[in-house]
Amino acid sequence: MNTLDTRPVYLTAASVFNAAGSECADLHGPLTIAQPLDFDPARLAYCVKTPRLPADVFDRKIQRGVEPQGARLLYCAGRIAPALSALNLPSQRIALMAAIPEVDGPSSCWDAVQAIGEQPDALLAQLFAHTPPLHALMMLNSSVMAHVAQALHCNGPMGGFCSQGNAGVDALIEAFHHIADGRAEAAVVVSSSPNISPALYLRENAECPVNAGPQLYGEGAAAVLLTSSAPTSGPMALRVAGFGRGYSASPERSNAVANSVIKQALSQEKLCLSDVERIVADTQDSRLMSLFAETGRVIHSSRQMTGDLGASALLTEVALTFHDDRSERAQAHYTLLLNHSRAGHWGALLLANEVMEKHA
Amino acid sequence: MRLREVYVTGYGLVAPMALDAAMLFSRISQKRSCIREHPVFAELGFANTAAGYIDHHQWQEMTAEVQSDALPRQSVLAEYVARQALQNAGLTPSAFARVASGLFLGSNKYCVSQDLQQASRYMDEAGSVDLDLYLQNHEPVGGAFSRRVDQQTLHLARFLGIRDHISTHSDACAAGTMAIGSAYRAIERGEIDLAICGAVELMAHELSYYSFDGLGAVCQRSDFAADQQSRPFMPDRCGFVLSEGSALIVLESRPHAERRKATPIGRILGYANYCEAQKITSSSRDGSKYAECMAAAIENAGLTSRAVEHVNTHGTSTQANDRSEALALKQVFGDAVSNVTFTANKSAIGHSLAGSGAIEAVLSLISLHSGVLLPTLNYDPDKAEFPELNFLSEPLHQPINVVLSNSFGFGGVNSSLILGRA
Repeated sequence: MNTLDTRPVYLTAASVFNAAGSECADLHGPLTIAQPLDFDPARLAYCVKTPRLPADVFDRKIQRGVEPQGARLLYCAGRIAPALSALNLPSQRIALMAAIPEVDGPSSCWDAVQAIGEQPDALLAQLFAHTPPLHALMMLNSSVMAHVAQALHCNGPMGGFCSQGNAGVDALIEAFHHIADGRAEAAVVVSSSPNISPALYLRENAECPVNAGPQLYGEGAAAVLLTSSAPTSGPMALRVAGFGRGYSASPERSNAVANSVIKQALSQEKLCLSDVERIVADTQDSRLMSLFAETGRVIHSSRQMTGDLGASALLTEVALTFHDDRSERAQAHYTLLLNHSRAGHWGALLLANEVMEKHA
Repeated sequence: MRLREVYVTGYGLVAPMALDAAMLFSRISQKRSCIREHPVFAELGFANTAAGYIDHHQWQEMTAEVQSDALPRQSVLAEYVARQALQNAGLTPSAFARVASGLFLGSNKYCVSQDLQQASRYMDEAGSVDLDLYLQNHEPVGGAFSRRVDQQTLHLARFLGIRDHISTHSDACAAGTMAIGSAYRAIERGEIDLAICGAVELMAHELSYYSFDGLGAVCQRSDFAADQQSRPFMPDRCGFVLSEGSALIVLESRPHAERRKATPIGRILGYANYCEAQKITSSSRDGSKYAECMAAAIENAGLTSRAVEHVNTHGTSTQANDRSEALALKQVFGDAVSNVTFTANKSAIGHSLAGSGAIEAVLSLISLHSGVLLPTLNYDPDKAEFPELNFLSEPLHQPINVVLSNSFGFGGVNSSLILGRA
């Protein structure tokens, strides 16, 4: 059950950064092509360069003090800072939720690993020589969140979720509850994919995934701004209308869980699937596609432009939906976004693009 | 608006030198520290070798119970503690598959130095890790860097048959408390009826030590004996002592607990969590942000500060945290501070990061249930920096009804729980 009988929650701003580009519109651009990895040319992925952080939002020293995945996340957070600032809210009423996978590593130890290879007898000495003192903090997700909080003046509720597949769902839903329950007026929701490094493949291969699929990863980040009041520009507003989540370690139960999750997401608005105009889901996920096989629906996905963005996948799709639904041609309709992690998590988000009443 | 009452019906815990909660509680009541010299730190010649660590004997016991040599240690620990919690609650794993249920776990990092030794075996001539060579090997799950931080969450989810809500919190030292808080809110809202929540953290190894020592965060005074180094709120406190451990709590909605005639051990009455937005390592020097968090938790419980009788402090034994927390406590309780008793469990256990909030919540629940308040080790009231705070230096038999438990994490993640008697 999700209790949506409290305050409405709207999407007010969004930003992305991935192989397609740094604008949501780039996800409608020319198809991006996965490239061979530097450390394993037999594998393809959608890698990106570490972005420069906006100097008007972040102290420039932070650029050197975060991992690339943290930098991507900060970049996206900085892009929604103006929209947040325009709300003129007390900082205690601004929540911050993050979906951040664990930092590889410690990743600087890849230098240490190489150094150990050169001097295997001095293993720990090489490790310590190549691990900077601040690395303890760089390894903690809360440090990246602290940079966001400080720069965007978030003093409200805060939470960080680190599991790869469902962290984005958890962060979004938690942010929703903080606003709906009156603990915040706005919520910054940030997310990042992991860095593409040998560690990512080692981690993913260590366990047999419930939802195995092609390992075509991408690097990226996304941030959205949720608010208790609808945006004042434009006639339309995108509202969080429902959500659901579930889990099954057993592939046999997967469809049942998925249907239950979809039903949860649609239930508040008393909808059925045919009422939803747009469905967003990974078209490479056969189990996901099987849910809609008989409906004949067109399923939308930007994954072919970005690769699997892990914790940032859902928010990237949310950001794109926000962008598309603000266009002049947008009509009132529902969008259902579905997320299915390799570990077996299911998440569903229902967004309602609706016409705001005059003077609302 | 309060929706549903949330009961605590069971718990499990493993900490350094303690394989269950009763053992730990008894040990601290007898003022016996769980901190000692870490053999690996000594072997490596670290300047300071004090740590709270789960030893070989404990791992043997846990591995025998869980009956798996292939599981990574975080998962062994998580399952062992979960089994304790279920037994304590009178539940079997199948209970979680029958109702709307959730698993909320706090954990920050999987990081073990053995990973590097393994990775170094798969280097090519240039010293780079050869991924294909590594992946071709048939080693069991001991792969370097092949652990996910949420592995124990997934393992427990499978073990318990959780079907609705699974999340892994990574909020540094506050992760355990925040996992409990999230579970509490999910039940209170009516999303789920049953939850198991808490934290698993294994940080007492050389890599973490080196990392935190580089920050100047761990105790620098090797002239203090190991069991004296964690000395929260004392003027000569000198940094925290690295530790590890796990605690899990079973939460149920009141209707669910009553339907199965469960005996509640306690209640979660309130919770709050806020963001400092200061620098990543510091907190507000005047304690105001800590105070706001505590006050919000008390208000969430529908109480005033005068209802709080005992506080389980975050009390890390760092100069910065303890001072900020002391100032905050004085702000929250005002003139009534003399009516409140305080404890700092990390004086006995050390700082187990995510584990600490969950472990301290369990110890608080036992105090509520038993009417025994735990002493703070290494605390001398005559030399106290904050004499107005009534830290117990001896165990005290005194029934209490409401405990406030704090966890303030790196990155400015502040969280407070209000726990009540059943």
